[in-house]
Amino acid sequence: MSTVSVSALDRLGRRFGYDERSAAVLIFPVFIVLLAVAIFPIVYSFYTSLFDINLTRPWRRPFVGFDNYLRIFADPNFWVAVQRTTVYTVVTVSVTTVLAVAVALLLNEAFPGRRLLAALVLLPWATPSIVNGLMWKWIYNPGYGLLNGLLVQIGLLDRYKVWLGDPDLTIFMIANAAVWKQMPLAAILILVTMKAIPEDLYKAAKVDGANVFRRFWHVTLPALKPGLMLVLVYETMISIRHFDLFLIMTQGGPGDASYTLSWQIFVETFRNLKFGIGAALSYILALATFGLSYVFIRALGSKL
Amino acid sequence: MTGSPNVSRRMLLGTALSAGAASMWATPTSLQAQSGGAVNFTAWSAAVDQVKSHISAFENASKLKVNYENFPWAQYRTSVVTRLVGNAPMDVLWISDAWLPEFAEAQWLANIDDIPELMKYNADAAPYCTQSMTYKGKQYGLSYYGDHMSFVYNTDILQRAGIDKPPATWDEVVRASLKIKQAGTVEYPLLLALGIDTWLVEFMSAMVFSNGGRFVDPQGAPLMAEPGRGAIETAAWIRDAIHTHKIVSPGAVETPEINSLKAFGAGQHAFYVSPTYRLRALNDPSQAAAAGKIRPALMPRGPKATASATCGWIRFYGMTPSAKANAARRANAAKFMEFFGGKDDSGTYRFQKLLVTDLGLPFCTMPLAADPDVKAFWDKWAGGGDVIAQQASSALKKDVIAPWFGEWNESASPAWQSVFLNKATPEAAMRAMATKWNELRKG
Repeated sequence: MSTVSVSALDRLGRRFGYDERSAAVLIFPVFIVLLAVAIFPIVYSFYTSLFDINLTRPWRRPFVGFDNYLRIFADPNFWVAVQRTTVYTVVTVSVTTVLAVAVALLLNEAFPGRRLLAALVLLPWATPSIVNGLMWKWIYNPGYGLLNGLLVQIGLLDRYKVWLGDPDLTIFMIANAAVWKQMPLAAILILVTMKAIPEDLYKAAKVDGANVFRRFWHVTLPALKPGLMLVLVYETMISIRHFDLFLIMTQGGPGDASYTLSWQIFVETFRNLKFGIGAALSYILALATFGLSYVFIRALGSKL
Repeated sequence: MTGSPNVSRRMLLGTALSAGAASMWATPTSLQAQSGGAVNFTAWSAAVDQVKSHISAFENASKLKVNYENFPWAQYRTSVVTRLVGNAPMDVLWISDAWLPEFAEAQWLANIDDIPELMKYNADAAPYCTQSMTYKGKQYGLSYYGDHMSFVYNTDILQRAGIDKPPATWDEVVRASLKIKQAGTVEYPLLLALGIDTWLVEFMSAMVFSNGGRFVDPQGAPLMAEPGRGAIETAAWIRDAIHTHKIVSPGAVETPEINSLKAFGAGQHAFYVSPTYRLRALNDPSQAAAAGKIRPALMPRGPKATASATCGWIRFYGMTPSAKANAARRANAAKFMEFFGGKDDSGTYRFQKLLVTDLGLPFCTMPLAADPDVKAFWDKWAGGGDVIAQQASSALKKDVIAPWFGEWNESASPAWQSVFLNKATPEAAMRAMATKWNELRKG
C-alpha cells in the first residue's frame, strides 16, 4: 500500500510542477473549511430532505425519497408562497434597478455637494435589516405612523390607513422597505460601471445630433449591461430569499398576504419542526434562485 | 518524502492523544451537570429576578446547586425541543399546557403520578389547572401559574359616555361601543389583538367559549365548522365589529398582544380582552396613562351561553424522563418542583404568592385567594379580586390542545385573519380549519 501511495505521489509530482503543488498545499486548508461549512451542509440538507423528520416525533425518521418534494408541490400553501414571492421579487428587483439607474445618473453628474449626497444615499444600505424593518413598521403604523400623518396633512388621505393590515397592499409596503435598503448598493454598482463609459462615446453621439434621451438609450444603457446584470442577479438572489422584513413586519400575514417561500421554510422548519420538509423547500428555493440567475447571465452575459 | 509517513503517524497519534485528553478533561463538567449534585432548570425569560432569588433560597435550604438557563418565550419551544433531542442536561423545565400532548408523546416529560410529595398539591389546585397538566390520564407537572382571559374596561370612558355598568353580553358590547363612538370619546371602543401572535388562539378560545361554543368535542372531533357551535358565530361577530359596526379598528389584524396592551393602557379604548396578569401593568401609573381606571368584568356572554365562560391556561414545572430515571436526580428535581410550586415549611405557597404580589401573576392554588396580602394586591391593582376569582372559576381549558396543536395553529391563525379581513366567509375559514384538524388527527 505504502509503495503504491509513494508511486502515485511521484506520478503527481512529475505531472504537476512546484508552483501547482505549492498552490494545492496552500489552498488545502481553505478547501477543508469550505468542505465543512459549505459543501457538507449542502449535501447533508439534501440528504435530510429525503427523510420525514419531525423533531417532535423523534422516535421515527422514515426515508421517504422524493415524497417531501411531491407533498410540497401538492400543498396549496406552497403555490400561495410562490405567487407572493414572485410578486415581491419582481416589484423589488424592478423598482430597485430603475431607481438605482436614476440615482447613478444623478451622482454621475458634477455638481456641488455630490460627494456628500453619495454618502447620504449609502446610509440606508448601512442600516441593519432588523432596524430597517422596525423603522418601516413604525412609519406604516395605523395609529401614529409617519406615512399616515404626512398623507393626511397634505390632503391625500382623509383618514389613517392600515397599510400592513390591508392584504392587497402588504406585499408592496414590504417591497418598499426592501427597496429603500437595497437601492443604494445597486446605485453604487451601476455608478461604477457608468464611470467606465468612455467620454468619447458621448461626444460622438452629440456630434451625430443625439439628444440626452437618445444618448442614454444608445450609449449609456448598452454600456451599463455588466453592472445591470450584476444588480439583477444580486437583487434577485436577495429578494427571492428575503425573510427578515417578513418576520418583523407581518409574520406572513395578514391572512396569507405575505406568506412567501422563505416564510414557509421558517414555519415548516422552526415552528412545525419538520426538518425534512424544510430542507426540501430550501432546495426548491435554492434551485429557483440558481435558475433565475442562470437566465439573467445567459440573457445579458453574451452581450458583455 | 520517505520519512513523511512516520511523521504523519506520530502526528496522528499525538493528535488522537490530545483529543482524548481534551475529552477526558471536558467530561467531568457534563457528568456533573447530569449527576445528582445539581438541578438543571430551564425556563423562559419571565419573572427572572423572582426566580433567581427563589433559586438562591432553594440552594441555601437544600445545599443543591441550580443550573438555571432561560430563553425568550418566542424561541422557547424550539430551544427546548432541540435541547431535548440533543440530550442536553435538563431536569426541570417550564412547560405550556399547549405543548403537553406533544412533549408527552415524544417522551420528553415524565409523569409525576408516583411522586406523592408533588401529587398532594392537587387538593388545593383549581380543577382546570390539574386537567391542563393531565394527558391520557397521567399528570405531568406542578403549576407555575394559571391565568385566564379577562374582559376589562376603562371606567373613565364609560362614565363619560353615560354608561354606568360594563356590558354583560356581546350584543351589549356593540350597543355600548356605538354609544361611546357617537359620544365622540374614542373611535374604536373595543380593542382586540388579532395579529398573528401566540396569544391569538387564547383570545379566540375565550370568545368562542363565551359564546357557549367549542372547537372540538370531548373525543377530539372538530365542531368548529358546524353552525351553532360557536366558532362560526364568533368569527362573524368580530368581522361585523370591524366592518359593519366599526367598533374595532381594522388595524387589529396587525396588532400583537403587547402592542394592544400599550394602546389600552394609553386610554385609547373602552373595552379589551386581556390576560388577567396584565391588570397590574394596566393600573400602574408608571406604565399606563389610564392607570387606576381599568377594571375587570365578567366575560360578556353570547346568545347561547349560560355562563360567562372564558379560556384558561396554565404553565407548569415538568420533569424530564432522564431526571426521573436516576434516583438522586429525581429526588432533587422533585424537591425543586415542590419548593417552587408547593408550600414552604410555614404552609404558604411562597413562590406563587411572590409572583402575585410582585407581578400580578394569577395562580392555580385556590387557598392563596384568601391570603390577606393577595387580597390587598387585587384591591390595589384591580379594584378587588372577586370578579377575577369568579371568572377563574368558569375558565375552560383550551380544547384544541393536541399533539398536532402547533401545526394546526399555524394554519388556523391566517384562516381567522381571512375572516377579519373580509376575504373569506366564516364558514369557509372554519371549514379549512376543520379540514386541517382532521388531516393532522389522522397523522
